[in-house]
Amino acid sequence: MSGTPTTVSPSGTKTALVPRITTSAITINNLGTVRKLNSVIFPVKYSDSFYKSIVQPEVEDYCRLIYFNDIPVGTTCSRIEKGSKEGESKLYMMTMGVLAPYRNFSIGTAALDEIILAASTPPPTIDAKHPRITHIYLHVQTSNTDARRFYEKCGFKVVSEVQEYYKRLEPRNAWLLEKEIAPPPPPDQP
Amino acid sequence: MSKVVGLPGVPKNRILASKEAALFRTVLQLYETRQWKRGLKTADQILKKNPDHGETLSMRGLILTNLNRKEEGQECVKKGVRMDLTSHICWHVFGLVHKADRNYEEALKCYTQALKFEKDNLNILRDAAHLQMQLRHFDQLVETRQILLKNRVNVRQSWAAMAIAYHLNGQLESATKVLELYERTVKDIPPYDPEHSEFLLYHIAILEEMGSHSEALNLLDVSAKSRSITDRSMISIFRARLLHKLERSEEAREVWVSLIEANTECYDHYKGYLSTQSLDLDSQDSETRKLSMVTLRRFAEQYPKAVAPRRILLELSAGDEFKEIVEHYLLHGITRGIPSLFADIKDLYVSPEKREVIQDIVEGIRTKLEKGGTSSEPPTTYIWTMYFLVQHYSSMPSTIPHALSLVDEAIAHTPTLPELYVAKARALKRTGDPLGASATMGAAWRLDLQDRFLNTKYAKYLLRAGFIEEGNKTLGLFTKKGASSPGADLEDMQSFFYMLEEGDAQNRAGRLNLALKRYHTAFKTFDDVEDDQYDFHSYAVRKYTFRTYLQFIKVEDRLRSHPAYAHAALAASKIYIRLFDSPKLASPTAGLTDAQKKAAKKAKKAELKQQEDAKKASQPAATDDSEVAAIKDDDPEGLKLLAAPDPLDRAAKLLSPLQQLRPELLDTWLVSYDVAIRRKRYLQALKALNHAKSIDKNGAEVHSRVIELKTKGTLPPSSNPASQLIPADQSLEAFNSAFLQRHSTSAPHIVAAARGMVYIRGADGPRADVEDLVFQLTREEVEADVPTSLQALSFLRDTLRSSRVEEFRVACDARFPLATVFKDEKSSPRFMHPECSILFNPVRTATSQRSWRCDVDTFIATGVEEFPCILY
Repeated sequence: MSGTPTTVSPSGTKTALVPRITTSAITINNLGTVRKLNSVIFPVKYSDSFYKSIVQPEVEDYCRLIYFNDIPVGTTCSRIEKGSKEGESKLYMMTMGVLAPYRNFSIGTAALDEIILAASTPPPTIDAKHPRITHIYLHVQTSNTDARRFYEKCGFKVVSEVQEYYKRLEPRNAWLLEKEIAPPPPPDQP
Repeated sequence: MSKVVGLPGVPKNRILASKEAALFRTVLQLYETRQWKRGLKTADQILKKNPDHGETLSMRGLILTNLNRKEEGQECVKKGVRMDLTSHICWHVFGLVHKADRNYEEALKCYTQALKFEKDNLNILRDAAHLQMQLRHFDQLVETRQILLKNRVNVRQSWAAMAIAYHLNGQLESATKVLELYERTVKDIPPYDPEHSEFLLYHIAILEEMGSHSEALNLLDVSAKSRSITDRSMISIFRARLLHKLERSEEAREVWVSLIEANTECYDHYKGYLSTQSLDLDSQDSETRKLSMVTLRRFAEQYPKAVAPRRILLELSAGDEFKEIVEHYLLHGITRGIPSLFADIKDLYVSPEKREVIQDIVEGIRTKLEKGGTSSEPPTTYIWTMYFLVQHYSSMPSTIPHALSLVDEAIAHTPTLPELYVAKARALKRTGDPLGASATMGAAWRLDLQDRFLNTKYAKYLLRAGFIEEGNKTLGLFTKKGASSPGADLEDMQSFFYMLEEGDAQNRAGRLNLALKRYHTAFKTFDDVEDDQYDFHSYAVRKYTFRTYLQFIKVEDRLRSHPAYAHAALAASKIYIRLFDSPKLASPTAGLTDAQKKAAKKAKKAELKQQEDAKKASQPAATDDSEVAAIKDDDPEGLKLLAAPDPLDRAAKLLSPLQQLRPELLDTWLVSYDVAIRRKRYLQALKALNHAKSIDKNGAEVHSRVIELKTKGTLPPSSNPASQLIPADQSLEAFNSAFLQRHSTSAPHIVAAARGMVYIRGADGPRADVEDLVFQLTREEVEADVPTSLQALSFLRDTLRSSRVEEFRVACDARFPLATVFKDEKSSPRFMHPECSILFNPVRTATSQRSWRCDVDTFIATGVEEFPCILY
């Protein structure tokens, strides 16, 4: 930790340390940390198949452990779904959460920005095998207005309210939020 | 050895016909190129015609030893020497065989013989010099080096080797003369030639050692100016030191300042600077300390990022001044999230006053953070504060429960910081709960399977808790995949940690054979390190690293002062003592329950199978001419070690390096005493005890042994210095009870007095009041800890064969509620940690053929949620 960067203001006096927010891929080796975080953050217990799916290489950019000053404090997991057309796909965010004491430090925003950026970077050639992500969507429980505001701030829009989405949680309804990813600009003409 | 020519005057039986002579040259060539099998065939061809040709016989034997047919080879070599007593080849070969056998004395004798018949053979001379170095025969070394130098004047290395020989033999004057002579003869050396630079630095170092400081400084300045020395920082360090020794303090100080500027974290530079003000950091004198602090404060201000001056100031300062410095130091460490902060400053805890100041400051930080709510400090500052406090409270037995409640709070706040679990595991270990400790360490381990530190820690805690197999499997996640077992790889890697921890674990489990085996692997490793230095006698001179080489020689001389040697030697000696006291332990299954025996049998079967598999796998590769099958361990289970007929002699042999190199260690003398008294060497025993007493005057361990010696030993009355141990006018009983009165609230001393009573009354004396005495440990006002209570428990059980063992166990259990070592295995539900039960479910280990890798996956899968070990 000795390499902690300090910010030195132009006058040369030391200011408070800027917290570092970083992410890393979820792997079989740090799955224990992911499990620990999920068990603390979410009221739902996730299945083994969930954990198997999030270590797959194709979702590496979308399933991340989030670190705050080098301590893992949050996770986010997504899966890639088929789009409406060939060469298109949708990203469904399954989970996104940060430990309670670490909220309000823009950790979630930073992580979400990273995912949006990854989703907006299209594969070099778009075809059936390498589809482009057109939308990111997710569900938010209707009681969780904080979360709704958070996603709306990041450019998501409520598309609909899904009835009876949650089987074992109250309230059972969920908002469906979606963000459109702009298509890549056409290649420059030489 | 490459030239064998029929010289005039050679004995007839050495001369071969030209065809055979050619074949013999081939043999030599084949040997040099390590084509041993072909070499053997060729030698046999010669011997068909000349069965008594000594040199061929010798070469044949040498080749055989390299093919792992050692005994046959040695026989053949000996026969060769007998056939041709005046052949330098025969003697040289004989020497080589001895050397390969690590028999350096004998090897050197053979070389000396060989040199009688071939005075100027450079190969033999060089080998002889290395042997003389290995054996530290410096006077002989000087002679050999003189001959070598005469023969190879034009080689740089001969000069250096000569100087080193003189240097080691204490002839510093001659050493410098050699170097001067050399420096005068060499010409046209390009600037910054690294090899020449080392020569000069070595020369300067010798001059400094001789006390010729001005000459040394002169040579340094001249060489530095002529761009002959490459190592710039070395120039400065030598310069500063020499100027100081020449009492040119002002100049010395300037050089030290430039060194500090270049590296603000080197303690030696600060020490050097202070020495120019005649200040010594280790001095306890308050005036000296004050002056040192003034200087260091100036440096601290000048280099705001330097840690070293601040850390030294913490050592020197006291009172308010300390408070001010340490507050800044702690705040800096905590806000930066430096995990090692506590480890860094815990040295200061020798002063209870400083300990308290630190506690107040960090508690203050915590209160501020808790009150502040969402202040500007990130939550990581809070968690590092908590982490520090947990370690702080864990360092004192009385505050460990507080540490445990704090750590649970911290884990609830941030459950993903492995350090917290590690700290918790350590606290649990200290309360005497190895099971809970290992389970908690497992929780840390599971957070990051890629972390080798956590993996090793977890394995260690498993071993400590008695889960030997599981510990080994855990270690196996990071060892070489092709190794026959994780342990085998770790032993190859000379991991003392593994040898000692596994040895201790086997020792605790009562498998003395395996414990001895592991300790002996450690001894063998020390032998290997000692042998390995042989190669450096030539290498270091060839690479011009003279100063480092001489340091290295000093390290090798004190090799067995290493803590790992002390640990292994003491533990193994204690086992040998146990074996002597109860020889029935020497049967390997003694002391094991039926279930353990069964498990052992199974393990053996599995191992055999594994060995066979390994054999099958390695077979096809063994066809190469140079390939030689590895030497098999003829005692993999340590059973031969266990059955040794002379356990005490072996122990004495292990202890003697410690008496030389670690005389400050109390255990060295206690165990030496234990061995000596059993060997009926009463004077040795007395000597050991006197040493022990000088280290720990009122020691409990010393006391019981004094009484034992008095009751058992029959010392010659004239030379009876035992009277120093016990006042002459005092009876043993009075001596014992006086001791007890002096230390009536200290558990170890009470146990010692109880032991003393047993010695005084003999094996069949009354026991009731001895038992009562041990039960004193259960009283509130007696300061008892877990280890001493465990010792008392085994004293009741094994020595007294008391009927009140169970009663004592229950009392200890009540006194140490957090400890599991006093639990009754059958009745206590708490003993079965949930984590342990999934980890070590006997049903699974018995039926499952699944690999460990698979088990690891199951942990991750069934994992943390269902079995939150942190909540038990």
